[in-house]
Amino acid sequence: MSDLFPMKQVMGFGVSIILTIIAACVYFFNLSFPITMTILLVTAFIQAGLQLVVFMHAGETNDKPAIYTNIYYGLIIALVTIFGTLLCMIWGYI
Amino acid sequence: MKIDQSLPLEYSTQQNQLNILGFWVFIGAEIMLFGTLFAGYFVLVDRTGNGPTGAEIFEITPVLFETFILLTSSFTIGLGIHAMRKGYTKAMIWFYVLTLVLGVVFIGFEVYEFMHYIHVGASLQTSAFTAALLTTLGTHGAHVTFGVFWGMFIVYQLIQRGLTPETANKSFIFSLYWHFLDVVWIFIFSFIYLKGMV
Amino acid sequence: MEYFERFAIPHPSPAIYASMVAIGLTVIAIIVGLTYFKKWGYLWREWLTTVDHKRIGIMYLISALLMLFRGGADAIMMRAQMAVPDNTLLDAQHYNEIFTTHGTVMIIFMAMPFIMAFMNYIVPLQIGARDVAFPRLNALSFWLFFMGAMLLNISFVIGGSPDAGWTNYFPLANNEFSQSVGTNYYLFALQISGLGTLITGINMIVTILKMRAPGMTLMKMPMFTWSSLVANVIIVFAFPVLTVALTMGTFDRLFATNFFTTSDGGMDMLWANFFWVWGHPEVYILILPAFGIYSEIISTFSGRNLYGYKSMVGSMVIISFLSFLVWTHHFFTMGQGALTNSIFSITTMAIAVPTGVKIFNWLFTLWKGKIVFTTPMLYSMLFIPTFTIGGVTGVMLGMSAADYQYHNTMFLVAHFHMVIIPGVVFAMLAGLHYYWPKMFGFMLNEKIGKWTAWIIAVSTLLAFMPMFVSGLDGQARRMYTYSASTGFGLWNMISFIGAIGLTIGFILIVYNVIYSIRYSPRNVGSDPWDARTLEWATPSPVPYYNFAKVPHVISTEALWDAKYHQHELFPEPYEKIHMPNNSGVPFILGCIFFAWGFSFVFGMWIPTILTTIGIFICMAHRSLEKDPGHYVPVEKVKATESKLRGSQL
Repeated sequence: MSDLFPMKQVMGFGVSIILTIIAACVYFFNLSFPITMTILLVTAFIQAGLQLVVFMHAGETNDKPAIYTNIYYGLIIALVTIFGTLLCMIWGYI
Repeated sequence: MKIDQSLPLEYSTQQNQLNILGFWVFIGAEIMLFGTLFAGYFVLVDRTGNGPTGAEIFEITPVLFETFILLTSSFTIGLGIHAMRKGYTKAMIWFYVLTLVLGVVFIGFEVYEFMHYIHVGASLQTSAFTAALLTTLGTHGAHVTFGVFWGMFIVYQLIQRGLTPETANKSFIFSLYWHFLDVVWIFIFSFIYLKGMV
Repeated sequence: MEYFERFAIPHPSPAIYASMVAIGLTVIAIIVGLTYFKKWGYLWREWLTTVDHKRIGIMYLISALLMLFRGGADAIMMRAQMAVPDNTLLDAQHYNEIFTTHGTVMIIFMAMPFIMAFMNYIVPLQIGARDVAFPRLNALSFWLFFMGAMLLNISFVIGGSPDAGWTNYFPLANNEFSQSVGTNYYLFALQISGLGTLITGINMIVTILKMRAPGMTLMKMPMFTWSSLVANVIIVFAFPVLTVALTMGTFDRLFATNFFTTSDGGMDMLWANFFWVWGHPEVYILILPAFGIYSEIISTFSGRNLYGYKSMVGSMVIISFLSFLVWTHHFFTMGQGALTNSIFSITTMAIAVPTGVKIFNWLFTLWKGKIVFTTPMLYSMLFIPTFTIGGVTGVMLGMSAADYQYHNTMFLVAHFHMVIIPGVVFAMLAGLHYYWPKMFGFMLNEKIGKWTAWIIAVSTLLAFMPMFVSGLDGQARRMYTYSASTGFGLWNMISFIGAIGLTIGFILIVYNVIYSIRYSPRNVGSDPWDARTLEWATPSPVPYYNFAKVPHVISTEALWDAKYHQHELFPEPYEKIHMPNNSGVPFILGCIFFAWGFSFVFGMWIPTILTTIGIFICMAHRSLEKDPGHYVPVEKVKATESKLRGSQL
């Protein structure tokens, strides 16, 4: 039976549950906006990284550089789009 | 077809390796798709017109359920891939079936959630905020729904054909898709629901 | 009958009725012709079901040329209307429809398939591959593009053309201001062909990353392959943005949502924002492969290797990243503050630097080269100065404070035509002449080709340089007429003459093709230009398996090494070759997508549901199907090779 439940993945699952609970704390406790956002950003990105490495086996073949470049490129461009859009439409808009 | 025995089954042919890398590139495109939806949502989140705000309509209980269900399904499909690599076809199929059942339960919760929103007067046409919210959630939900059907085809093929380089490859790619949907959900959970409810 | 009234055209005119008749007659002529010559089977077996990247490339090429004439007809009508003040050739509504379809057709359905044609045909040959990574998806990409193009093109005879500009800005594109179904056509045509483009992007990236010949590391890839790789990376990350924006626009029009409305919190500017988040990278998707083609041509006809290979690659990678950071410069006047505009001004000027690097690399390649002035080389030489005019006016437009003066004037129109025509169209025509012998086994006539190149280049200057002047003088774009007192008459007349010149140039290209089919000698061999890269190492026209033996590569110029440095290109023995099977499903799926888009355009929900089910059935079929491909036995490869090589040696 233990053959079917590798330690690495069980640990990964446990950590992601804990991170979800930490994130959910922002709802149950009254925290300031910067602290809320910090908690959410940190937990969300750790969880995403966890999925990528533990569950999606992103780094197991020769294509590792291509896969990581692709994901980081997508992530950076997506963030640029999100923050650039906010800059144009809200923050920098008079 | 040349089969390289030294690699896991899902990587064992040239075409299999191409398929997996191709799917990773597709995930890159999906990151951008959801990134754009998020950008639209963040711009429109405070533009509620005469409709309700997020804080007024979000409910924590179904959202927490959805999150734990999807996290668990991501875990079970990971176990499915582990079982596949160990050659336990039967266990793998059961893990896949379990994942799909969790997926269906997730969709059930989401349908309930959407009905709740419409009930409290936050339909697709109400305001820019509701349109952005329901489109973003809907896109994710549509992906999960598509995934459930896709997964059913894969389970069927696993039962019919057993573990071959092709079916292993398809199962692995499906697992990538499913994990990615979980990642997207984490961001929806954090930056749409939690941020909106605080 | 009432049901069918929705298909009527809202603003009919004799020209549209004439085109209806012309379309009807052409369709009948094609059907009768195919039946008379018994070519239905041939069409189906060899073209509609093909997964061969070369045939798909040729189909892209033919579509691009057809669309060039569709978009060109729009252009000449616009220029004719503007040629004299207070002209009444077209009314405002028709003028709107024509500039909208001109822009959309030229960018999405002419320039894109043109670069796709070369990417499909050349990239697998340049890297020594038998086909692309996913041949079936490649066919699907083509059919999705083609059906999207057809969907846009039937708009002007069924239901009405889109009329909100190729940028389709909301709220103008909302139901309130664009009442015909034209904008729906725009949204679905772009959605369907955009899906095809995204699939091509993924396909090409994987092909280039994983299927290169032994020895060809990333830094030993020919420049066109590098430019294609970078362009496809941009495709993969830019097109999802368009998908989302189009979906939101569709929801606004069909389901009364409030994304881009001006009530209930809607934000019309968000469309402009998303459109250009996609739209600016799109410009580089078009221009980078064009730069790749110029690099190949300039290097070949200078008799030298490309100067600054690494800086060329580096500048393209930087462009791929910067292209996502500049989009706001398309709407500096929309109301962002000085800080935002300054940030995007700086990124815009930064992107001129890597582009400049490339220009200097070409110039240094020419330096001390043994230059041979063939038609492709002539286009490349005409490109450098004319493109530079377009480029530097772009830097002028990129300065946000000054842009308030230029915005939405003919100055802008002149700028982007001076970038896209020399940058993309010249490159495509150069590529057409350069790769024609590879594709068809004979050359296009050089004399007619050179005349054409000069006519097109001079006409381009004649057509667009006056717009810089009238634009600075205050002539706004997209105005359907102007009064004589503005003084724009002279400039617009010169533009019209230039447009006539361009028309003559493009007709000469067709004439050249017909002339060369009849008179060109057929025994030109596999390497008529004394070229340097791998695609010229296989016979012309290329056998379906591309390379009989897998080539081995030691530098960026594999063929040059083999010809002049005793490099052994094909050291391996003959082996059986694995090839993919043909399939009719991509074509059928394309047709279903066409019906799906058409049903959506008119809000016909029952056909929409049925076609959606049809799409899923095709996908289910693909999932369950076993498609191992087939092997070409060694004897057959040897027989084909001796036949092809024997005739030319």
